[in-house]
Amino acid sequence: MLRFAVTRILMAVPTLLIVAIAVFALIRLVPGDPASLMLGDLADATSLASLRHNLGLDRPLPVQFAIWFQNALSGDLGRSITSDQAVLPLVIERFWVSAKVVMAAVIFASLVAVPAGMIAAWRQNSALDVALVAVSTLLLSVPTFWLGLLLLLFFGLKLGWLPVVGYVSFSDDPWRALLYLIMPVMTLFLHEIGVLMRMARASALEVLRLDYITHARAKGLSESVVLWRHAFKNAFAPTWTLIGLMLGNLLGGIAVVETVFTIPGLGRLLVDSIFARDYPVIQGCMLFIAVIYVLVNLVVDLLYPMFDPRVTAE
Amino acid sequence: MTRRLLFALPCALAVLIAVSPAIAKPLTVALNADIRSSNPGVNRDDNTDGVILNVVEGLVAYGEDARVKPLLAKSYEVSDDGLTYTFSLREGVKFHNGAEMTAADVLWSWNRYMDPKTEWRCLPEFDGRNRLKVVSAEAPDAHTFVMKLNEPSALFLATMARTDCAMTAILHKDSVKADGSWDKPIGTGPFIFGEWKRGEYVTLNPFHDYQSPPGEKPDGYVGSKRPLIDEAKFLIVPDAATVKAAVVGGSLDVAQVADSDVAELRQSPALDISTPQVATKHTFLFQTRDPLLSNVKLRQAIAAALDMKQIVAAASNGLGTVNNSAVPPTSAYFDEVQRQGYSHDLQRAKALLAEAGYKGEEITILANQRVAMPSYPAAVMAQAMMQAAGINARIEVLEWATQLDRYQTGRYQMQSFSYSSRLDPALSYEQFSGPKDEQPRKVWENPKALDLIDQAYVISNEEKRGKIFDALHRMMIEDTPLIILYNGVDSVAYSKRVQGYSTWEGKPRLWEVSVAD
Repeated sequence: MLRFAVTRILMAVPTLLIVAIAVFALIRLVPGDPASLMLGDLADATSLASLRHNLGLDRPLPVQFAIWFQNALSGDLGRSITSDQAVLPLVIERFWVSAKVVMAAVIFASLVAVPAGMIAAWRQNSALDVALVAVSTLLLSVPTFWLGLLLLLFFGLKLGWLPVVGYVSFSDDPWRALLYLIMPVMTLFLHEIGVLMRMARASALEVLRLDYITHARAKGLSESVVLWRHAFKNAFAPTWTLIGLMLGNLLGGIAVVETVFTIPGLGRLLVDSIFARDYPVIQGCMLFIAVIYVLVNLVVDLLYPMFDPRVTAE
Repeated sequence: MTRRLLFALPCALAVLIAVSPAIAKPLTVALNADIRSSNPGVNRDDNTDGVILNVVEGLVAYGEDARVKPLLAKSYEVSDDGLTYTFSLREGVKFHNGAEMTAADVLWSWNRYMDPKTEWRCLPEFDGRNRLKVVSAEAPDAHTFVMKLNEPSALFLATMARTDCAMTAILHKDSVKADGSWDKPIGTGPFIFGEWKRGEYVTLNPFHDYQSPPGEKPDGYVGSKRPLIDEAKFLIVPDAATVKAAVVGGSLDVAQVADSDVAELRQSPALDISTPQVATKHTFLFQTRDPLLSNVKLRQAIAAALDMKQIVAAASNGLGTVNNSAVPPTSAYFDEVQRQGYSHDLQRAKALLAEAGYKGEEITILANQRVAMPSYPAAVMAQAMMQAAGINARIEVLEWATQLDRYQTGRYQMQSFSYSSRLDPALSYEQFSGPKDEQPRKVWENPKALDLIDQAYVISNEEKRGKIFDALHRMMIEDTPLIILYNGVDSVAYSKRVQGYSTWEGKPRLWEVSVAD
């Protein structure tokens, strides 16, 4: 297990290196100049040149990359061009905000979608199956920004139960923090439930057709034992992979939900930084997201044998 | 089980809402993006200025008639040769830390701004790089501050009062840490800088020892400026749809809204809407060094092809008014001459195209789709009208940073572009006039016009300046290096529980504002 983990981490090194180089190069290929954006429409050539010099943007690109990469190796991802904040603490702070929403949504979605998918497969072609498939397809098809706005209008405006704008952290006021998180978590939860339910149903359908399930039924085991003790583990394994991919994906990319619900998370930081051409923050965010993606999938792979004994972490 | 769950969830939510402690509601104002810093005039943008100018003040500031008036100064005198400015300071004005403001603080603030390490945005305007140089600044006594210039300037005070220069705010020296780095603004404004949670909000608290300048009511950044609210909270809400929902629902007290939402929001019984004009200029720029558009006849043909009234009505959702002049309508220099603009004449446009020898070559209009700017709708209208006149126009939509880069480098044929606010006409003309070899972003490089703008920088006499601006306007309409369409509209929705609120030049003014319970 340890050898497997170490090998996987070492394999991630070239991936992260490629990410670092690609992000550095690509963002600089995009037209636009952070100094010009900071000074606005009236920047004279001297002021622009002076600011570019102060920001180190007038140096050759390989030199800029070498300095950034050398500092990154020692854990220093630089400072934001626009806010002058240190990038690494900024990215970590924003990551925890996003992580709370994403983890809560994915956990709740898994708890609901996996059993629902199993039941739909168990009662394939019944009215219940058709209804569950229809609901999951509908939820999957609704864009998150629209779903978010609908929730906002209903629970925030119509009923007045939940706050429409703002964010409160748990350290400041846990009760109010919870109130502010309900709608964004619900938005993600409703969207992801559709994906997970369809996956859980498809996997369960495949497993329920296998000989060992027929054998279990022939032994006279009850349907619930067949379903939850024998079919569940094997059927859940592919869904577990999907949850891992989903987590990696969402932890770096819920900018839309964060924008609609004014959550100061990692996705919004990344989008704002792209618009402001804040190169150090963009690079820091992307590198951090890549690391999170690698780590989440490593954890998923290490836990895989728990669900599918045919797979070993060797 | 399901039924129980369905019952339990709303109950749990209701309990959660009920046990949340009731908190006194401050005046909440929406910001579409976070402020850049709390350092006045240094790392700033429009949002930053809007917040910080509630906290700090300068010696002089703009009134609503676009004239510069004393603020922290009681009065000022200009010597006969126009080189020496003597400011008499108001007495009894206190900083937020309780210290009394004296000429020593003014001198300290000025010296800090003039230090290149401060990176003050407006340093080039005062260190000789743009002609004007402050050769000395002195504080002969506690209430007198004297500045000497290298040459007479009609714009010295106007530049000091510029909002993007943060009004050349007077700060207490404790605003910086012992190592010289920035800490927080300790100014003399009606509000004290409170808590800044990056990406979330900024709070301002009333300064109870504030000494308001004289006046019955607010007048730009002067006039009566009493802080009447207990707390103001600027909430960062980037999404326009969320802003709209929040202001309708009462979660926000004040918010800038899209022009397209004004008609709908006017129907809300809980809201008041104001749509004051600001001095930003929405324009079409021409690259006068482009092989095609260097031909003045072609530029005039495009101007004649455009029905400005229709474009402005569509781009501003009926809220704007055509103004082809660089002089804002609120200015004392806006007269009958400035009202003379382009006229829509399709036959004339076609005749001018023939004179220009135009053979259907493609003309590309750059535009962006920023929510607050009319760049794209204006470009769409112009494209249709140009095509109706026989001009092969196409639109290229760019992201704002990319368009700004093309503007700065002059790499375009035509673009739908908005200029930030400049209240003095000389500064307004300077925004787009100058030699392209040195500054590719400049649009108009007619030597006679540049000479007139130079004169407007030096001559203080209002009558003479008026004549200069009239001459400039006529030349600009003739040369057509750009088409100024209209001045921006600042659409603001605010709750009826808020009294006395008004924006000016797109910036929130929290003084003289009260909130009903």
